[in-house]
Amino acid sequence: MPYYQTWEEFARAAEKLYLTAPMKVRVVLKYRHCDGNLRIKVTDDAVCLQYKTDQAQDVKKIEKLHGKLMRLMVSKESGDHE
Amino acid sequence: MVLLENDSFLTELTRLFQKCRTTGSVAITLKKYDGRTKPVPRKGHPESYEPADNKCLLRASDGKKKISTVVSLKHHVRKIGVGGWDMQIARLANVREHWLVGPILGSMYMNV
Repeated sequence: MPYYQTWEEFARAAEKLYLTAPMKVRVVLKYRHCDGNLRIKVTDDAVCLQYKTDQAQDVKKIEKLHGKLMRLMVSKESGDHE
Repeated sequence: MVLLENDSFLTELTRLFQKCRTTGSVAITLKKYDGRTKPVPRKGHPESYEPADNKCLLRASDGKKKISTVVSLKHHVRKIGVGGWDMQIARLANVREHWLVGPILGSMYMNV
């Protein structure tokens, strides 16, 4: 599964994937301080979207997306119920 | 897997980041949670729980130690989001000369 080259494409695809299947999607962050990189993966076990970075400015972008997805999960106005 | 309260989770998460400064990685997983505490019943047996729509499960691990917490209120989301992993990365990143993340994240926390 390839890594996305641009943050904007990754963020758009990640949010779209979450809205398609909110109960199946998980967001995984992996930080390695010794290598100085941060990876983010958004997957529903069928489609896997990944982005990695070693740039400080990307930390803020990743944090915003993570927070946004967390707020969507916790919000009561989600679409489908069982 | 240790299930913790939100504040204890943040404390333990800080410890995980500190332990992994020289070697290893910290993985944080976020997933929507429907509140079930029992396994999915077999066919023909009724589901015996009330589905919740406003919770998410946060897990963290350094490969050996695993911790988790359930986040269910919007103001908790802000606390976890702001005081959580990105702050740890900011603190660690300050150690490396080429990561200039400290001032940016510092101003972000003041604004929340």
